[in-house]
Amino acid sequence: MQLPDLLSPQERSAELHAFEQTRSGREKPGRYWRIDLETLAPSAAATVAGGVTIENSHARAIACDLRTAAKQHAHLLARAFRAAIEPRQKFAHLALANCGLGAFIYIPADCAFDQPIVVRYHAEANQAIYPYTVVLAERGARATIVERLDVGSNAFVTGVAEIVTGDSADVTYASAQIAPDDARVLFTRAARPGRDARVAWASADLGGALSVSDISIVIEEPGADAQIGALFFPSGSQHVDIMSSIDHRVGDSTSDTLVKSAATDRGQGRYLGNIRIAALAQRSDASLRDDALLLSEGAHIDSVPALEIAANDVKAYHGATVGALDDESIFYMTTRGIERAQAERMIALGFFEPAIDRFPTESLREELRAALQAKVTT
Amino acid sequence: MSDRGLRIADLHCSVEGNEILRGIDLTVEAGKVHALMGPNGSGKSTLAFSLTGHPSYHVTAGSASLDGEDLLALTPDRRARAGLFLSFQYPAAIPGIKVPNFLFAARQAVRPGELTPAKFRALLLEKMNVLGIDPSFLGRYLNDGFSGGEKKRLEMLQMAVIAPKYAILDETDSGLDVDALKDVGETVRALRASDEGKEAGFLIITHYPRILQHITPDVVHVMIDGRIVKTGAADLAQRIERDGYDALREESGAIA
Repeated sequence: MQLPDLLSPQERSAELHAFEQTRSGREKPGRYWRIDLETLAPSAAATVAGGVTIENSHARAIACDLRTAAKQHAHLLARAFRAAIEPRQKFAHLALANCGLGAFIYIPADCAFDQPIVVRYHAEANQAIYPYTVVLAERGARATIVERLDVGSNAFVTGVAEIVTGDSADVTYASAQIAPDDARVLFTRAARPGRDARVAWASADLGGALSVSDISIVIEEPGADAQIGALFFPSGSQHVDIMSSIDHRVGDSTSDTLVKSAATDRGQGRYLGNIRIAALAQRSDASLRDDALLLSEGAHIDSVPALEIAANDVKAYHGATVGALDDESIFYMTTRGIERAQAERMIALGFFEPAIDRFPTESLREELRAALQAKVTT
Repeated sequence: MSDRGLRIADLHCSVEGNEILRGIDLTVEAGKVHALMGPNGSGKSTLAFSLTGHPSYHVTAGSASLDGEDLLALTPDRRARAGLFLSFQYPAAIPGIKVPNFLFAARQAVRPGELTPAKFRALLLEKMNVLGIDPSFLGRYLNDGFSGGEKKRLEMLQMAVIAPKYAILDETDSGLDVDALKDVGETVRALRASDEGKEAGFLIITHYPRILQHITPDVVHVMIDGRIVKTGAADLAQRIERDGYDALREESGAIA
């Protein structure tokens, strides 16, 4: 039996066209930057494939693959699919043009689930995959979703995650990407919280030759609370390019963005952080904090926080630092008998802790600490 | 053993090209408490930093040894493992490193392999109890967001946990109220009463004599302008309280 497709052939070709026409919004920050997002595409040899496994222990939740959702829960899926992404998000168009692999998570009203729902995407070596996760949380629902990527060498991943919530919902979505060193991983993450709802993205980009994330939350309902916590750490010759944006379109809303990054070896990183507060969004309260740690001469991190505030009755905090390890901190630790190299590792790992704290389970936090530890030890 | 003690001989030290210490001779014997007093800017903290090996403090002449080990030849971490401890006047705040993890790493570095994590935790709780430290310290990052008094308490907790052979307390008393001063005195007393610390020597650096009401020194030194100008018994501290440093300055003929 032929399943109803997620997108018609005409829609897919329109998305591909949009992908080709849309600028990434990210210029090359300098000559050292070897990646041009405007011309980036999977190699022609890549085969489109991949799989998804979903771990869900909550009988009342719907957690199924995207094609099944299109067949069995079409009316629910339609409320969230393509509802949070924006036309400017170039790589979401590419994911849509190839859309097929994916997961749909539905949390009914007033259901509170403590145990995370885990979505795991798989790809073999040299494959291109286009994973697409859609989350719809009804009024008063609370849930945590963890997205993991299990891909082979030289994989090309262009993914999307969308969250749409009802009033007073509370959704945490954590993604921890530790892909092979030659993989390329691009994600677009977009959310629209309902009135008095909270949405929190926690995102870690630690693997891949190239890792690109565009993380956004658009606030269109009062009382919403938007949180973004991100960490990344290019080492070797990795490139990491992270963009976050929180758009306060209505007032009485809060947001909190925290980004912690480090770079070592010849690792290159870039963070663009945007906070927009519209003229009508009075009494918005936004905080953006971004700290970068440079651990070697050849490493580079470009950090560009930007606040656009059109309203006059708002609270907006913004702080950014870029620097090396603090000599006084190292000296202090060595006076307690700790070897210099160990002191440096402890300080560098500690630097990430406030961002690691945004991740929902201890096992995930421990996995992140181990991956960071491996980067500061080599 | 004749070379025991924290032995400092003719120590000269410069910071950014300025000579601050102009020949310090001082020996803290094992098990003894020495007080080092002096007005602001006399070089007391410089002595502490030159002994612990701060990279900005350059020893230009003289020697320093700890129970026979040449301190000046060692990196700061090795000086600590040799048994030297400094309670900082302004300890660094390091976000992301939890207090117990740091203390365990320090204890393991200085006294390797003696304690399992479980036994360490019991030791830590016991020392915290002596110091009257709130258990919430265990969940906090190292000195991060700590008040001045809390930082000093954490320095004392570190001293108690590491149990060094020789401890320098650099103005640990400054900014503390009477109760906190008592706790500092109690920490030193408890360490001296313990098996690990019964041979410990102390160098208490202070501007004011009041800490010495809680820790009775065996010897008091007065430093002015980078030299020790007077050495005496505990009553020397009381004389300073009565007459101030200027009288000693004139008596010793110290020149700026």
